[in-house]
Amino acid sequence: MANMAQNEDKLVALASIAAELHSVMNVAYGVSLAAKNAKVISAQAGDKGLGFQPITDFIDEISQLAIEGVSTINENALRLSKIAVHEQRSYDAYKRFTSVIKKNEDAAYIKSLNPSMDRVETHMIKSFKEFRNSMKDLFVQLEEMDKHMLSARAIASVSRVVTSNAQEFRAKLDVVADNLDNAAVFIKDKVSDSYEHLDRVKTLTREHA
Amino acid sequence: MKVTKIFDKGHQWFMFGRDPEKADSIIDTNQYMIVAGERALLMDPGGIEVFAPMLGAILHHAKADQITDLFASHQDPDIISSLGLWDQALPEARLHAPWIWEGFIRHFGMNNIEYVGIPDEGNTLNLGLINLEFIPAHYLHASGNYHVYDPVAKILMSGDVGAALESPEGPIYVDDFDEHVTRMKMFHQRWMPSNRAKNDWISRVRKLDIEQMAPQHGRIFKGDDVKRFLDWFEELEVGTAIGNDDD
Repeated sequence: MANMAQNEDKLVALASIAAELHSVMNVAYGVSLAAKNAKVISAQAGDKGLGFQPITDFIDEISQLAIEGVSTINENALRLSKIAVHEQRSYDAYKRFTSVIKKNEDAAYIKSLNPSMDRVETHMIKSFKEFRNSMKDLFVQLEEMDKHMLSARAIASVSRVVTSNAQEFRAKLDVVADNLDNAAVFIKDKVSDSYEHLDRVKTLTREHA
Repeated sequence: MKVTKIFDKGHQWFMFGRDPEKADSIIDTNQYMIVAGERALLMDPGGIEVFAPMLGAILHHAKADQITDLFASHQDPDIISSLGLWDQALPEARLHAPWIWEGFIRHFGMNNIEYVGIPDEGNTLNLGLINLEFIPAHYLHASGNYHVYDPVAKILMSGDVGAALESPEGPIYVDDFDEHVTRMKMFHQRWMPSNRAKNDWISRVRKLDIEQMAPQHGRIFKGDDVKRFLDWFEELEVGTAIGNDDD
């Protein structure tokens, strides 16, 4: 089980994930808005924007996936923090109960503490397992988000090819493609940083299991 | 943790305090426990730092599951910040504490213990063999505050009233009242905010038959020293951190 300092490190690392992803949400909302604008532009472009219209649907879909994904990841990071806090409190109680037993072996009723000790130990093991499972889920969610952003970059590249036929609308549609690409790079970076924080949590959890 | 049995006739009162292992930077506190047959009440169980020595000392005199009830006179950390740990040691227990502090006290961590709010007018706790009274002591010093009176043992657990700041080596009982005043005066003048609340409490407590008055810090008053304290406290101007008292 993690000791108190290691648990504090875990809490900081988990809070860092939430902090990294906070800025992602605004960027994802921005892409969603850009996708809606792109739809209007491609409609105005008529036949010249024909190839771009289905792409705007993809951009919208990607932005929605990013918004939902970040919300889920944040919820999971928060849940992991709460489990870590519970684990720390159980560990604190366990440590103090152990000290009481060690220092008061001669106490007439020392054995009456055993049920409490067993309960706290069970709770610690349960919290630990719950933490490990939630951490696995979070890894999967971060990997999925990374894949979505790779798709977003691919869509941005395709967009640039398609807009070459859009004549006077090309510049406006290129801006949408650039925005999407920049947003995808930004989100990928944040996901990568979050992955590193989570990897630190995993190492701390494995080292002190 | 030093343990002193201060009453033993049918049921027992224990005082815990003067912990030699306590850090100097932490104020010394007195914790009390009443053992009445199969049940026990732990009063102002103390801060996180005294939890382990307290629990260890208790297990010499009572079983863990015998402690069915806890009492917190008010919300201060030296009174009840150990709650999160008691919550894991005594998940079936009930905590009797001022109703107005429930939302605050729960910040110390309480997932199992039941919070029983004491109404403003106070009430009675049946502890099996005995009935105990929760006596209102509002604004002395917290805005919701109670003391515990045992009419059989004639003991009033008086929380911060009667408290004195002194070294952990100090004796358990007041032996020279006039000399002891020097340790109490500043504490009462500064921590007690209201002369009106003070006089209200004194008139209520004068009606009780008290042989021992047991505060949460310092020494226990016994016999005539209880009346001496009430007379002294009545004369004392409190709430002195501000220049004028509008009471």
